[in-house]
Amino acid sequence: MPEIFINGQAVQAERGQTVMEVAVAHGFVIPHFCWHPDLSIAGNCRICAVQVEGRSWVEIACNMPVADGLRVLTDSEMVSSYRKSLMQLFTLNHPVDCGICDKAGECMLQDYHYAYNGSPSESREPKVHATKFHPLSDRITLDNERCVLCTRCVRFTHEISKSKALGVTQRGDVSLIRAAEDHPLDDDPYSDNIVDLCPVGALLSRSFLYKSRVWYLEPTPSVCPGCARGCTVQIWHRKREWKLNALDPRHNASIERVTPLDNPQVNGPWICNKGRDLAAIFERPRAQQALCHGKPVDLARAIDAARTLIAGAERPLALVSNWASNEELEAFRRALGDRFRALYKHDCSPVAGERIEDDFLIRGDKNPNTAAARALFPFDDPALPLDGGVDLLLVWGEGFDFARVPPAARTIVLGSYVDDAHARADVFIPVSIQTEREGHYTNFAGVVSAFEPCFPKSDRVAHAQSLFAELETA
Amino acid sequence: MPNARLLMTFPVTATSHTLAEYRARGGYGALEKALRQMTPQQVTAEVNASGIQGRGGAAFPMGRKWGVIHPNDGQPHYLCANADEGEPGTFKDRWILENAPHLLLESIVIAAYALEVRHAFVYIRGEFDLPYRRLAGALEEAYAAGYLGADILGTGFACDIVVYRGGGSYVCGEASALITSIEGKRGYPRNRPPRLTVRGLYQRPTVVNNVETLSNIAWIVDHGGDAFSKVGTPKNPGTRLISISGHINKPGVYEIEAGYPWARFIYEDCGGMQNRLGLKGVIPGGISTKVLTGAEIESLHFDSQEMEAAGSSLGSGGTIAIADGTCMVRLLQVMLRFYHHESCGQCTPCREGMGWLHRIIDRIVDGQGRSEDIERLYSISRLNDGTTICGMGDAAGYATSGILNKFRGEFEYYIEHKRSQFDGRLACPKSS
Repeated sequence: MPEIFINGQAVQAERGQTVMEVAVAHGFVIPHFCWHPDLSIAGNCRICAVQVEGRSWVEIACNMPVADGLRVLTDSEMVSSYRKSLMQLFTLNHPVDCGICDKAGECMLQDYHYAYNGSPSESREPKVHATKFHPLSDRITLDNERCVLCTRCVRFTHEISKSKALGVTQRGDVSLIRAAEDHPLDDDPYSDNIVDLCPVGALLSRSFLYKSRVWYLEPTPSVCPGCARGCTVQIWHRKREWKLNALDPRHNASIERVTPLDNPQVNGPWICNKGRDLAAIFERPRAQQALCHGKPVDLARAIDAARTLIAGAERPLALVSNWASNEELEAFRRALGDRFRALYKHDCSPVAGERIEDDFLIRGDKNPNTAAARALFPFDDPALPLDGGVDLLLVWGEGFDFARVPPAARTIVLGSYVDDAHARADVFIPVSIQTEREGHYTNFAGVVSAFEPCFPKSDRVAHAQSLFAELETA
Repeated sequence: MPNARLLMTFPVTATSHTLAEYRARGGYGALEKALRQMTPQQVTAEVNASGIQGRGGAAFPMGRKWGVIHPNDGQPHYLCANADEGEPGTFKDRWILENAPHLLLESIVIAAYALEVRHAFVYIRGEFDLPYRRLAGALEEAYAAGYLGADILGTGFACDIVVYRGGGSYVCGEASALITSIEGKRGYPRNRPPRLTVRGLYQRPTVVNNVETLSNIAWIVDHGGDAFSKVGTPKNPGTRLISISGHINKPGVYEIEAGYPWARFIYEDCGGMQNRLGLKGVIPGGISTKVLTGAEIESLHFDSQEMEAAGSSLGSGGTIAIADGTCMVRLLQVMLRFYHHESCGQCTPCREGMGWLHRIIDRIVDGQGRSEDIERLYSISRLNDGTTICGMGDAAGYATSGILNKFRGEFEYYIEHKRSQFDGRLACPKSS
């Protein structure tokens, strides 16, 4: 194993690594725009320049192979002055419109400007203008004036998502990132990753555009329930201390955006566009009112009614949600597993226009916890009729066709979102959703990931996990 | 001193480029000799012995470039002839392509034999029309005559030449951008390491040589590497094709033996300056080499070391003679417009720097110059020095600092008086 010296400090490297990789692995800071650990080396931004001791010039760290005894300086005077001059060039035609830029606060250009330059522009020339708000796709808009042409987005579509949707057109300082006519970015289900990849505010998510300053937001680790992959994500929502009374209360407890949480075991640093749109799943109209025969009742009254039904049933059947967490499934099995014959059902199936399955992330099973449900319960095939002798049916979660309810059966429904069928149930108990509780999902490959609550639960809604103990009859 | 000729050995006529006339001059004799009497190692040894250096501008020893390629590893490797002659002031390869295309083809096949290359490429400048037609015609003739193809001259050696036309980019004359362009990608230069001789075209070891460099191989095989090394000076073996333009009486392409005096070349061979004007300066080897004043160049010879000591280089052999009365500010403006236009835009210092240089010089020429602009031009040039992916950033820097060093006074005058020191007409000497 070669040993190299960074700023005089000896560090172990592996053969074939670059100086940048070694530096990052050992906590040294070398600025970079174009370099990304999961993409090929472009070497075009030049900001990662370092100096090899004894040489009178700078070289880029991202493309410098390690060699035993290599001595690298990351902050020598020559490196600092080079970086400072280079930062002048990065901002030469950059509009410096941080005040209205979504990236402000997490922008590498901003950070590096303060860290390595900090002085006003030396240019006296008028700025060169370029396209603003170029529609790359229905989801992404591009501000060419802010672009530093690091080509991370281009390399992503060629190397990771393989849609080959982006390329560079024109030449020199009028080079533009553009979508290819025959491979539109709209068809790339991973396109939003380029918004995260963009080191500056050039690529902007239209769903997050001008929605919030990032410093008002905080991320909560969570798991995308969109398919059996179970990608780990961060759900960004307004910080508690920045809650504003002037806003509609929903805005204080809404999903502002979703970003991937780097997890090499599951999804790496990427997620698909469905994972970005968790608001479309979790912010549907909520069912928050307990019902008995369609009439609003207190939550406690509904639980009592359900307990009575369970106590009196002869042949109860439960259809368990595969959107339930490992803890909820276990709580059900422990409290009611002996009382009910239980089957698990698919809450969601693919919708029209959605990519069903590919060899990257997206899985055909559009439910997050099928693996854990399958380990505990047999599967309820929706094509087969339910047992006619069932006299009590407990339906947990969505996706059940109520026409299948046996004629003699009473029904208890546990649901989270508004559905007309709830009124026809004997008892309807509203339960919390993923963003209101903590738990774990087991993905298709058996990897267990945790999610944490983002928002408080309403008092009118039950946590399924504790509900089952209350429903247990002696 | 006598001026040896290795390439321009025949009178150019309407048919001198054809296979029949080329054969009548002894053409393809070197190929026969190499294929029938020599091993690839012997050919390489002759090239090494000749000491020939690249003619594209960097003067890298050809033998050393070839030495990195290890034939017989069972995997393909490639040879590319760089005919993307885009350096302003340079038009020497064009002469070879137009008038001796078979010389290039013969030399490529010999080189392919030495390097055990199955497929060789010629990347020809897109704007070259006649040279392309001549080359394509020669290629057809050579295939028909069995000098190319699956079984060359019945020896069993196989080599195909693919001619690839460029799309009009200056940067594609840079070796790594050239092969990236051949691969069908955007003509961006590549980062080193890896060198092209390690991982080049289609990720395989590749040799890229200039057309003129390659064209010398036929002569080297014919007469031996030692004979070649005796031409010219010991450190600069061989001859150079020099294309001269500018305010000169007889512009054109000349073959000059290394060590030949510049003064004699300009004042005798080229017939001196137009209207007997004074020689203000010379850009010796394409605009990317530093300009030399007339006084400096008159005492120099065609010798790399001597030119380097004078702060310039022979570059690609594209000489531009500049007469007294030429406004150097406007000359720099033209040059920077070129660099700005041709920057590929891949890496930051060149992409942003070229535009900045161009805008500053435009402003100076507009009469809006500021006293600090000269320092700014210098600092942007320095920033590009050795910090870009390819050499274009450095080249533009050399060009800028070269002119500023030698003619700073003109810039100061222009900025102060908001107009050129010269009235736009070339100064005529008083009739004696």
